[in-house]
Amino acid sequence: MIDTKESLSQLVSEALLGEKYPIAKIISRIETEKNLEFREALFQELSLQKPNTKEGLTIGITGTPGAGKSSLLGELCRLFLEFAPDKKMAIVAIDPSSNVSGGSILGDRTRVQLPRRDIRLYFRSQPSQLELGGLNPYTYHVIRFLRQVFDYVFIETVGIGQNEISVSLISDLSFLVMQPLGGDQVQFMKSGIMEVPEAFIINKCDEESLANSSYYMLESTLEFIKDILPDQSLPPIFKTSVTKRKGIEELLQYILQYQRRKDKNTETLTQLSQWIRNEYGRWGIAIWEELESSKWNRAVKQNPLGGIQKLKYEEEERKVVSLIQTKIK
Amino acid sequence: MSAEKKEYLLVDENGQGKPDKPWIFRTYAGHTNAKASNELYRKNLSKGQTGLSIAFDLPTQCGYSSDHEVSRPEIGKVGVPINSLEDFRILFDQIPIEEMNTSMTINGTSMWLLSLYVALAEERGVPLEKLNGTTQNDLIKEYLARGTYIYPPKDSMKIIVDMYEYCLHKIPKWNPSNICSYHLQEAGATPVQELSFALATAIAVLDAIKERNCFTEEEFEQCVGRISFFVNAGIRFVEEMCKMRAFTEMWQEITTERYKVKTAKYRVFRYGVQVNSLGLTEEQPENNAWRILIESLGVTLSRNARCRALQLPAWNEALSLPRPWDQQWSLRLQQVLAYETDLLEYPDIFEGSKVIESKVKALKEEAKLEIQKIIDMGGALVAIENGYMKSQLVKSQTERLSKINSNELVIVGKNKWTDGIKSPLMTDSDGGIFKVDPKSAEQTLNVLGEAKARRNAELAKKSLDELKQAAKDGKNLMPFSVACAKALVTTGEWADALREVYGEYNPPTGVDGQKLFLSDDKVSTVRSKVEAFTKTNGHRPKIVVGKPGLDGHSNGAEMIAVSAKHSGFDVIYSGIRLSPEEIVQSAVEENANVIGLSILSGSHKEIVKQLFDELTHYKAKIPVVIGGIIPESDFEELKAMGIREIFTPKDYDLMSIMEKIIDIVSKEPALVS
Repeated sequence: MIDTKESLSQLVSEALLGEKYPIAKIISRIETEKNLEFREALFQELSLQKPNTKEGLTIGITGTPGAGKSSLLGELCRLFLEFAPDKKMAIVAIDPSSNVSGGSILGDRTRVQLPRRDIRLYFRSQPSQLELGGLNPYTYHVIRFLRQVFDYVFIETVGIGQNEISVSLISDLSFLVMQPLGGDQVQFMKSGIMEVPEAFIINKCDEESLANSSYYMLESTLEFIKDILPDQSLPPIFKTSVTKRKGIEELLQYILQYQRRKDKNTETLTQLSQWIRNEYGRWGIAIWEELESSKWNRAVKQNPLGGIQKLKYEEEERKVVSLIQTKIK
Repeated sequence: MSAEKKEYLLVDENGQGKPDKPWIFRTYAGHTNAKASNELYRKNLSKGQTGLSIAFDLPTQCGYSSDHEVSRPEIGKVGVPINSLEDFRILFDQIPIEEMNTSMTINGTSMWLLSLYVALAEERGVPLEKLNGTTQNDLIKEYLARGTYIYPPKDSMKIIVDMYEYCLHKIPKWNPSNICSYHLQEAGATPVQELSFALATAIAVLDAIKERNCFTEEEFEQCVGRISFFVNAGIRFVEEMCKMRAFTEMWQEITTERYKVKTAKYRVFRYGVQVNSLGLTEEQPENNAWRILIESLGVTLSRNARCRALQLPAWNEALSLPRPWDQQWSLRLQQVLAYETDLLEYPDIFEGSKVIESKVKALKEEAKLEIQKIIDMGGALVAIENGYMKSQLVKSQTERLSKINSNELVIVGKNKWTDGIKSPLMTDSDGGIFKVDPKSAEQTLNVLGEAKARRNAELAKKSLDELKQAAKDGKNLMPFSVACAKALVTTGEWADALREVYGEYNPPTGVDGQKLFLSDDKVSTVRSKVEAFTKTNGHRPKIVVGKPGLDGHSNGAEMIAVSAKHSGFDVIYSGIRLSPEEIVQSAVEENANVIGLSILSGSHKEIVKQLFDELTHYKAKIPVVIGGIIPESDFEELKAMGIREIFTPKDYDLMSIMEKIIDIVSKEPALVS
């Protein structure tokens, strides 16, 4: 139905205006198996209709089940509408539920009460399809698309331990949400993921003294591993309470003022390598690294001015596929 | 009479035969508007009914005035709309409230309705000590099963305790709350769950009262004595009778051991009953008359656990609202049982029965374990907030439905002996059911409009401000509510004032992680159709299960959500009380393949129209199916509006429903390809 050039262009232009149904249809198409051609056409169309504009900021929200991530997001939405009147945001909530039938119950919308008919907010659920890392195989591409339409794109995932890492790979700013005195601190130190998120949230800080003691515990834990943090400064810690409506405005202001963007080339290469590993295993990675990526990496390193042409994901994917195909034959 | 004592007879102190007084006969009633309900009550009382049981409409229960936009489709449908004191004046016109035992089935707004009753009594010069009755006020079962809660659990509990404090001092004969396990059984609870959840709720209420520490020891005992229960009597009547005996014994134990109540009369388990509607069938509805009779026996046969008040559903309740004649028929059944039979002449006829005693013992043991589990968790409020109780109920319900589906549980006329002659009871010109005249809402709105126009606006505003301030300060809200009632504040204004302070609660849906116990050929047929869809379209079919309007009976929606997952759908289910706009927005944003609505309040036509208007707004063509209590006479109109398939209680086979849905979805042209 939208394979013809003309209707895709219409769908994209409607989506860029923020219309919900066209956006929803495009996401469904991205979430469909064998979507390479569609993605190529889509992102080409997007670059035609929206050339050289700034992409939205991607924010990852992750943490253990029950940490109150969805309710927190619900409150963030409410404040966002109030404090960022000229901006738009989208949420992708990944729900881990899944069973033998392959079906799922996606319940995250329950916690987020959204105003009706407001094109400044868009919410989409995704089943994780048992994928490790809390991300669905299509999440990355959905995010890439949403970044073109929205100023802020939130990804909510459930993770316990190492699995939080992958969400931070595709977001500019990632938060780890914890509960007061959850005993999480020690666990996270052990699993070595303390250095991954850009910031921390202690949610459910309904009671002052418990909140403060958790705050100091986390702070001292972070100080302990300061030496291995990327820029060696301590990441910020937010104390929030949805029931008391505390600390969420500060959190929102921090997000709205956040400027740093992660290098999208790195992001593309990371996702590509993950995809190759999923599709072709270590063997595929070996071929890719040897013949293609190494060239790129050299080029990246060799250009001191950083004026590198941005990698196009679909182009890279095609190259890799054809390369691997030749090896298979 | 000879001097020899006859063990089989009930006698007075002089040895004269003296049968028990019958229980209170009630019918749960109210509809259309205050005037029509007043007429109905007066007729029922003249027919020998001995108490009033008021049914309120959904906006009144959920704290909205009739002129609120969400109220419009629901005004006067499942009960009487009450907006202000003016409606109570009309409702109780020529009814001597000082002589009545008035039961109000109201929860989220129970403090408000009691305040109106108090204001009415004071206006009539009736001393408050004379008022006799019950406000249901059991929020826990609302969070679990019926859905007319408003505020978060802790704030709701605070309101309950306020009412105990006020009533003990001002209206000593009033039962401020009534622990209701009725809807738990309707939501699938087993007898053990009914016992344990209800008793855990009572414990939560008493613990909260104790914690406030506002009563002397003697007053606290009186509070314990005011706790009453409202239970369900199901079709397995021997087990149900044992459940009632277990309730009685366990309550004795809890009040003695946990609360150290010394006065025997305050330890008595006092309860009223509405017999089960869940088991009533839409198929061969005349069979329901027998079911209702048998269910009544469970709670009347056994003198040691006989109910204090009884209300019976009507034979045609699974079809729609009963007519006055249907209610009269139910009342006559009670009168036959109490006055024609010899039931009330004997002492407890099961005392000493080995079967009964050991069954009671078994139920008690299991229920004790469950209560302990809930207490260990932190009590009933915690078990609500963490979703434990809800998920247990959904689990029981799925098991029950699985058993009906596999014919392990026989339901005559539904899954066995289904062929029958059509009931002549249904052939009257009204089709055997009652319909509320949609024009009658105007009368309610007029009364509301006039009351607002006539009142002292400043006084109304002042009393609302004082109510809000008192809520912020944590004061007892009862006196402030009564002041609001006298100032002609409306139901919506009262509830909104407290919403502003407490916020609104959104409990867990209980469907996460639920499994169906179905694995027959039909399941594999449906799953293979779902797989075929997935293969053709490259993604799983997605269904949005929506529960629009104020009707909070979510069992149907939950079962469909769990069955859809069981069949391989991705399911979006966000709980109850959604607006059609919210449901459509979810379906659009998620690009759902189908929307499934569940509506039991009788407002399906209005809601379906709103829903299709909203789909048009988004230019979205998403097929819509609907399930609920929907009379056949509305089918044609709903289909003309665009509804693709209609499911009623007749469609109990979950996989047949899912098969119809996947067939509809598969025939749709792919939205994007």
